[in-house]
Amino acid sequence: MSDWDIAIKRGIEHNIPRVYKVLKEHPYLEDLARKVREGKIEVLSKLDYYIDMTMKSVESIGGKAYFAENTEDVREIVGKIVGTNKKVVLGKSMVAYESGIRKYLQSKGNEVWETDLGELLIQLADEPPSHIIAPAVHMTKERIRDLIKEKLGVDPGDTHEDIVKVARDFLRQKFLTADIGITGANAVAADSGSIVLVENEGNIRMTTVVPPIHIAITGVEKILPNLEYAMNEALVQAAYAGLYPPTYVNITSGPSSTGDVEQKRVSPAHGPKEFHLILVDNGRKKANEDPVLREALLCIRCGRCHFHCPVYRAIDGKMGDPPYSGPMGAMWSGIVYQDYKPALLCSHAGNCREVCPMKINIPKVLEYLKSKYFESIRKQ
Amino acid sequence: MIEEGQLDFIRRLVFKYLMEDYMPFPVNKTSCYEWANGLNIKKGGETILYTGCSYQLASIGQKFDDFLPKIYKIKGIESLSTFGKKFLKIRDERAIKILKNISLLLKKANVDFGYLYEDEPYSGTILLEMGMLEEFKEYGKKLIDLFNSHGVKNIITVDPHTHYTLYRLKELLSFDVEIKNYLEILSGKDLHSTYKEEYVFHDSCLYSRFLGMRDVIREVIKNAGITIKEDDMITGKETSMCCGGPLAPINKEISEKIAKNRAESLKTVSKKVLLACPFCYVNLSPYVESYDIAEVISNE
Repeated sequence: MSDWDIAIKRGIEHNIPRVYKVLKEHPYLEDLARKVREGKIEVLSKLDYYIDMTMKSVESIGGKAYFAENTEDVREIVGKIVGTNKKVVLGKSMVAYESGIRKYLQSKGNEVWETDLGELLIQLADEPPSHIIAPAVHMTKERIRDLIKEKLGVDPGDTHEDIVKVARDFLRQKFLTADIGITGANAVAADSGSIVLVENEGNIRMTTVVPPIHIAITGVEKILPNLEYAMNEALVQAAYAGLYPPTYVNITSGPSSTGDVEQKRVSPAHGPKEFHLILVDNGRKKANEDPVLREALLCIRCGRCHFHCPVYRAIDGKMGDPPYSGPMGAMWSGIVYQDYKPALLCSHAGNCREVCPMKINIPKVLEYLKSKYFESIRKQ
Repeated sequence: MIEEGQLDFIRRLVFKYLMEDYMPFPVNKTSCYEWANGLNIKKGGETILYTGCSYQLASIGQKFDDFLPKIYKIKGIESLSTFGKKFLKIRDERAIKILKNISLLLKKANVDFGYLYEDEPYSGTILLEMGMLEEFKEYGKKLIDLFNSHGVKNIITVDPHTHYTLYRLKELLSFDVEIKNYLEILSGKDLHSTYKEEYVFHDSCLYSRFLGMRDVIREVIKNAGITIKEDDMITGKETSMCCGGPLAPINKEISEKIAKNRAESLKTVSKKVLLACPFCYVNLSPYVESYDIAEVISNE
């Protein structure tokens, strides 16, 4: 058995039964998932309207909002806010990865650290993530131990707990001295300009609160009509990812503030003095105009489809262009990179469609992308 | 992963063969219909048994998956198809037995049906499943014209891929026929099996998750007196896995790995595997003891 086979087997054995258990114990989650789908469809049907509303809402709560048409725009905006010679902590963000933010900021002379443990391992190994929410799922704990020993100069020992402790000790210093925290967003509430982030490690909480500047980078498809929908999205994402209840759900609405002096709300308080939200298009708006591809924009990145996909299980995490992997990754490679080839790997097993909380007909989207691939080579 | 040039070669070649001869590979057409010899099935009629040549071509299809990518740069290779169509006769004894059994089961269930023999076309599954939708629609029009010219109103299918392909033809083009699978027709019938061992059933992805036949098939198995063992994490609707077959033209190595993975997990439930798809059989049988439903049930 290869390292991948061992690691993915262990991951599946831990994850799949746990998701079923969560859904059985909390049957209201299926209702929430249905509502989230409705909310997302509402936004996608008037996307420009909701982008505009979101940006105005962010500004109204003292934040700054930006619309980035492509990844170059994202890098430019982030580069201007961060500058050079800064210490940056990153919460796991697919769109930041899509935009190449970590390496871009490093190239500008900044010290940049991923703070999600899986993503930190990916950074240390300098290799692409293999799963949308568990980026280091391809690594066995034995390999992780060797990696930490080699890159951080500390032997963490051989238990899962030992490994987590070394990462905790290493990252704590980074959080406390960082100038800027960058995160993604699980959901953005158009009515309030709030972003919702769900996590378990506590790294998001620290990334969004400890440094004086917080930048959130996310795709326009993450907008939901209001904060209720956005909160629901976080709960659904956590449940279908198999970690429920989530340890933390964070709402960030602009820079830190207080109302304790005569109830006048003033900003900043103890947390960041600046909040920036970058809404990224990069192919999403075009996909939204296509009735088949629009379905893919409903994805909430729970990663459940990965573990139920026979191809993803067999293929060493390389189904899709990073950070997008698995069945959802084959869809998203088409949307943001215009790479239709990963879709060819779909064997139309259909499990992904069955387990998707957003009821996305993933095989149908992939069939469509396959046909776009053949259309492109037919024209050559 | 297969190269772009190879994919385009397969696309052009398969489409050319289909448009010329209703067959995806340059093999003699007798390979498709010889199973029906001696069964006295009438030719044509409003209701036909349609094999789509799936069972007959499943094993040769696997060989073509190996063969085609290797020869795509040879000049003039496409012209050798005339030679293949004349002399390349495939005889798959197992496929013949399965199709005969299906036909006998239907006859004993008093189903009146005909068969198209040498006029029977391949369904176009490979075009659909590889994602060549434009070619599929073009071939589909030809296919529909053929069925219409024979006055076909009802089609009885015998495998999931052909069934799903016809279903998609109805969805994408105007195709006014009733499609039933032989297992749907046999559900509720009094069947029996002489095979008394316990099996694990490997669901076809298409039957189980795309065509809503998961329970129907289990009922047929149960009515035949066959015991199947289940494991939620291995045979559940959401957890059962593909045999790897549909991926073979794109990535043979991964296709085989999926098959091995699937066989290993099935073996943890039972060493004997029952299935209902020619491609599942071809892909899983090297790794596990496999039987098609039509090999183990009868209504005698």
